[in-house]
Amino acid sequence: MSAEPLLSVSDLRVGFATEGGLVQAVDGVSFELAPGEVLAIVGESGSGKSVTAQTVVGLTRSANARIEGSIRLGGAELTEAGERELQAVRGERVGMVFQDPMTSFNPVYRIGRQLTEALLAHRPEATGAEARARAVELLGSVGLPGPERQVDRYPHELSGGMRQRAMIAMALMLEPQILIADEPTTALDVTIQAQILELLRRLNRERSLATILITHDFGVVAEIADRVLVMHEGRIVERGDLDRVFYSPADPYTRKLLGAVVRLDQAPPLRQSRGEPPLLEVSGLVKHFPVKRGLLIDREVDRVRAVDDVSFSVARGETLGLVGESGSGKSTLSRSVLQLLAPTSGSVRFDGREIAGLSRRQMRPLRAQMQMVFQDPYASLNPRKRIGQIVSEPLRIQGVASGRELRGRVHGLLERVGLSAAHYRRYPHELSGGQRQRVGIARALAVEPKLVIADEPVSALDASIRAQILDLLAELQGELGLTYVFVAHDIGVVRHVSDRIAVMHEGKIVEQGPADQVCERPVHPYTRKLLTAVPVPDPREARARRASSDA
Amino acid sequence: MGRFIARRAAGTVLVLFAVSLIVFLIFNVIPDSNPAQNMAGRNASPTLVAGIEEEWGLNDSLPQQYATMMRKVFSGDLISYEGREDVDERIVEGIPATFSLCIGAAVIWMSFAILFGYLSARRPGGRLDRLLTVVSVTGISVPEFWLGAVLLNYLAYRLGVFPSGGYVPLTEDPLEWAYHLLLPWTTLSILYIGLYSRVLRSNMLDALGEDYVRTARAKGLSARQVMTRHVLRNSLAPIVTLFGLDFGALLGGAIAIEYVFDLNGIGLYTFESLINQDLPPVIAVVLFGAFFIVLFNALVDVFYAFLDPRVKLGRSAR
Repeated sequence: MSAEPLLSVSDLRVGFATEGGLVQAVDGVSFELAPGEVLAIVGESGSGKSVTAQTVVGLTRSANARIEGSIRLGGAELTEAGERELQAVRGERVGMVFQDPMTSFNPVYRIGRQLTEALLAHRPEATGAEARARAVELLGSVGLPGPERQVDRYPHELSGGMRQRAMIAMALMLEPQILIADEPTTALDVTIQAQILELLRRLNRERSLATILITHDFGVVAEIADRVLVMHEGRIVERGDLDRVFYSPADPYTRKLLGAVVRLDQAPPLRQSRGEPPLLEVSGLVKHFPVKRGLLIDREVDRVRAVDDVSFSVARGETLGLVGESGSGKSTLSRSVLQLLAPTSGSVRFDGREIAGLSRRQMRPLRAQMQMVFQDPYASLNPRKRIGQIVSEPLRIQGVASGRELRGRVHGLLERVGLSAAHYRRYPHELSGGQRQRVGIARALAVEPKLVIADEPVSALDASIRAQILDLLAELQGELGLTYVFVAHDIGVVRHVSDRIAVMHEGKIVEQGPADQVCERPVHPYTRKLLTAVPVPDPREARARRASSDA
Repeated sequence: MGRFIARRAAGTVLVLFAVSLIVFLIFNVIPDSNPAQNMAGRNASPTLVAGIEEEWGLNDSLPQQYATMMRKVFSGDLISYEGREDVDERIVEGIPATFSLCIGAAVIWMSFAILFGYLSARRPGGRLDRLLTVVSVTGISVPEFWLGAVLLNYLAYRLGVFPSGGYVPLTEDPLEWAYHLLLPWTTLSILYIGLYSRVLRSNMLDALGEDYVRTARAKGLSARQVMTRHVLRNSLAPIVTLFGLDFGALLGGAIAIEYVFDLNGIGLYTFESLINQDLPPVIAVVLFGAFFIVLFNALVDVFYAFLDPRVKLGRSAR
């Protein structure tokens, strides 16, 4: 490192006092950040990477936090700084961007108000008009169309990608030298992720903005980082230049993480179609939502065509991947197939029987045969119920088993999805994200369904956990002869598990076919857009792709 | 916005219509006894009963009876047969006292509730928080009529620091007005201060864990700016809802407080009418009270949209 470091952290230790004793979240971390470089800190949830980043600007300070070591920013020692000094550093010298741009903005204030607040907090002499002009200028430079209008909108009126751009603009209001981006793309679709990474790269280049990027995803790292730190259980287990870490990782943990990354070009062997009639046959399915308006009585003035004449079929034992961005209609489609939403028109044949238009009562005996696995294993498990209750609920509702037999079956299910009987009495919050998703799968499998619709089952999980869950799903499919519809925004993940892929865009299926064909010889431009958005966990390839897209 | 207000207003009218129907059913249709007899009071002569029967059209069809009743309520010729008073006049006379009591108390309780809630949430578990918790829970637990009587006994009768009740109109003497209302205001506020500050405190503690609070800190705002602009501001919605319900109900008459402090307001009138089983005023005060409850519920819904722009007015209208 030739230049004087902007930031140097040495032997940082952060512990939190809890009822169960001191939890050492960060355990002796040292690193330096040079002007204008992009440093990626990679690790799984709980590795201490976010705590490290937030401690730099004192955001983890609290009555039960123990912070030791040294954090030097431009000659000042921040671990000993008072709250006022730290306030002067936050925003002014270090800007921060967080994971979820929806919850990270205050929902009750306009975007402009939140941006100008950052400036006015540090420059009381500035006028509101100056601050607003700066906000408009920055929103424009991070790529928001019509920034003069966007400043007066509320966060919920922007799309996820636009919100994250606005968040980045907010972090830049005072032209900090350092930007800390904590999982900035994890809550976004891959296509939007590609755009945000491109923006971060451009800001780094044009403003020589030193960036610390916190992520769990090596694909993201390969796209953007100069140097990499790998964190595990509060320590740095590997550090080095991007290519060195990727191509000759020294630490076994790094190798494990790299090995766990799901790659686009790794597809499962094709299953032979057995020539039976398909398990699920959807034809001409339409789901419209009316848009109503009127002074006292609603009239239908327009309709949202969420699912617009969709047809596909899924053979027994096969996996159909359904890909598309948020808002493409894929979740509405899966719900309409399961009759959780009543389709506007069209036909859904399940196991040879027409189920579109069946009443709730008529659907009830069929429910056991078609189950769903949901995206967010945090939100979709009732936090007040024990794991055993959650998994046994569908069995009790369907009246399949009770008492000792029920308990035995639940134990068996838990073991089958890689948990143990010891988890039976635990609560969801005591489990990791991956374990929770295993519970979600066990619940879906409890009633021995024929069809499982998995709606973004791995997108809320760490990259390293994704592979495990995908493998589990594949294994269960083999054992139990399950049929899957696998819904996701990341075509890389979809390819990893699917026999065939259907690409959804604006309520229609724009392309479908065997997975290899769709991924290697895409016909529709939208499919190509999805494919190029998938981050490649390979720095050389990522550079080559960037070079070709720049040219 | 205009659309939302129009819908809400239409809804309010509908609810009031329903309330008036229920009142009509309860007083004139359901009872087994003769409604005219009930209305006439306890020691009524047969001629009076016959007169009421005639006046209220009690031999007409039910819709006609309902129309007659509503016409009487709204045209102002509703008469209490017990005291031979004009009911609407008595209600109008009672408005200044009741409104002075409620509005004054509301200002006090909202100010202190927000202050106490804020101070508690600033350092949860701290000494001030624990003290305010004790104060709040005590306030919630003490019955208001008891507290009013105790305050009167010590501060008015024994020490003579405060007047022993009664209402002095604001237009007559503003100082005396406030002096006479100070004890009733305090008594009425204490329960609500306790309740609202508890609710605000727990909402603020929830808000403290939100991502946008972390963002606000990361921007370099001071702890106070974070607390007031982001945490407090986002925690107000639930107590605004509570306020709409409580305040609307109180405007229809704060029965216990008005009785204890001898404030000649709607609550006291309600109390007397109930004791005397004087039906016409009871009908009127029930409708009057219902009007304010429904009105303030509608106002809260509109105010909500200002507090939280995510509230989609068109959708929440039903």
